[in-house]
Amino acid sequence: MSTLQAIQQQMLEAVLAANSSALPPIRSDAIADAHSRLAVYQHGYRIRLRDALKNEFAGLERIAGRSFNALLDAYVETHPSGHYNIRWYGAGLANFLQGAHSDRPQLSEMARLDWAISTVFDAADEPSLGITELAGIPPDAWAGLRLLPQANLHTLDCAYNVDAFRRAADRGEARPHLRRYARPRRLLVWRQTMSVHYRRMDADEWQVLAAARRGEAFATLCAILAERHGETAAMGRMVALLQAWASAGLLRGIG
Amino acid sequence: MTASRSDSLPYLGYGLGLRVDHYEALLAKPAQVQWLEVVSENYMVDGGLPLVWLDRFRERYPLVMHGVSMSIGSTDPLDEDYLARLAALARRVEPAWVSDHLCWTGVQGVNLHDLMPLPYTEEALSHVVSRVLCVQDRLKRRILLENVSSYVSFAQSQLTEWEFLAEVAERADCLILLDINNVHVSAMNHGFSALDYLRGIPASRVQQFHLAGYEQGEQLIIDTHDAAVSNAVWDLYVQAVRRFGRVSTMIERDDHFPPLPELIAELEHARVLAEPLLKDAA
Repeated sequence: MSTLQAIQQQMLEAVLAANSSALPPIRSDAIADAHSRLAVYQHGYRIRLRDALKNEFAGLERIAGRSFNALLDAYVETHPSGHYNIRWYGAGLANFLQGAHSDRPQLSEMARLDWAISTVFDAADEPSLGITELAGIPPDAWAGLRLLPQANLHTLDCAYNVDAFRRAADRGEARPHLRRYARPRRLLVWRQTMSVHYRRMDADEWQVLAAARRGEAFATLCAILAERHGETAAMGRMVALLQAWASAGLLRGIG
Repeated sequence: MTASRSDSLPYLGYGLGLRVDHYEALLAKPAQVQWLEVVSENYMVDGGLPLVWLDRFRERYPLVMHGVSMSIGSTDPLDEDYLARLAALARRVEPAWVSDHLCWTGVQGVNLHDLMPLPYTEEALSHVVSRVLCVQDRLKRRILLENVSSYVSFAQSQLTEWEFLAEVAERADCLILLDINNVHVSAMNHGFSALDYLRGIPASRVQQFHLAGYEQGEQLIIDTHDAAVSNAVWDLYVQAVRRFGRVSTMIERDDHFPPLPELIAELEHARVLAEPLLKDAA
């Protein structure tokens, strides 16, 4: 190991382990001793990572309340950053919370929604298929075609009303009451042009969207609805879904 | 090889760092702001609003790109994904120049997201020079390296910081972004002369100045870049203008953003200080 490598490794370890007594080869002088000098980097490291997380997890701050900073600090102490861009530091927070706070599953659920919103925000731009384009498809072509949902949309299963907490944070409103659902609700997170949206999906939409994302043909999507509601009602529901998806920019094309 | 900043890179005048808080106000293109510096990593994304804003400003201002993650001094290999994204962004922006810091930000795959100082040794010098050459080859342009504020120095150092910076620039044929605030902060924290620092930097290599503010700690000065430029830094800026002449200058604020007119007032103060000196020298 070269001298440069050794110094960098010692500095890294000293910054990560704030309470370590081992000192890198730092000079002390009349202005400040080595411990005080090192402490600037130790303190700055923790503040910087915590601030980066605060920027991304507005809903978690609402749902965690006064424990929010302690949650972030625990993540910072146990999860060194592996990406050059601090913007991605929060990628592992939801999994961390799931493991470290299994008694409060709403925390990891909230973190997943926050992170989905964050990642959709600057995901790759995609084309959007509008109602006019859909109306132009010949009737006999529909059965075999495949609807292509946005590649960057996210779907989440939620046992708690985490979307209400995020909405309260976005709007600067009071913290809502935490509610646990008897059956999981499904959330959809996507971007239409430059605006990020999230909303709940009913069981029909969730199943049909999941099938479309798997690449199932349009006829199969209709069959899913027909099985749930019968042939006649299924067509009306499919048309309503198509109109909603097209007007929300959820479709990037057909295949 | 001796390089002159007039060889290829333009003089841009007086500018600001582009920050989200000032997006709307800067769209109006106030006459005092002649150019903008963008933080490269903020726009190294796949799509969405950041790139829309970037394109809007690209239409209105000359831009330069300023990175914080190249980690040119790290003993980890250069990050190929980072360099590929940086090169792609440079192709999109077509900046007047690209800069980063003379530091390391992580090692062994761990990123501290801080501008860590190097030991000023011959070993570190050779290491940094080889990597700057590699990056410049990759980006097909000379880069600027900025001096960082530091709070530690290493027992192994054989050179002063300014000797190290000057030698990197000469050997790698790169340019220098001189942060006047950082010179002052490090001079106070390590007890060296800021004027000695300025005298040790080759004038032909200095392409850009940063001006910023700091916070006075109990023992050390902390480079926060979140306050107005201090009187001591303004004084040092005057000395820098005398030594280096006409250099593109900007106010760099990273937090506690005031309304844009306050930053513009600071920028105007830089102009008021510098222009008479430059006129006299002409």
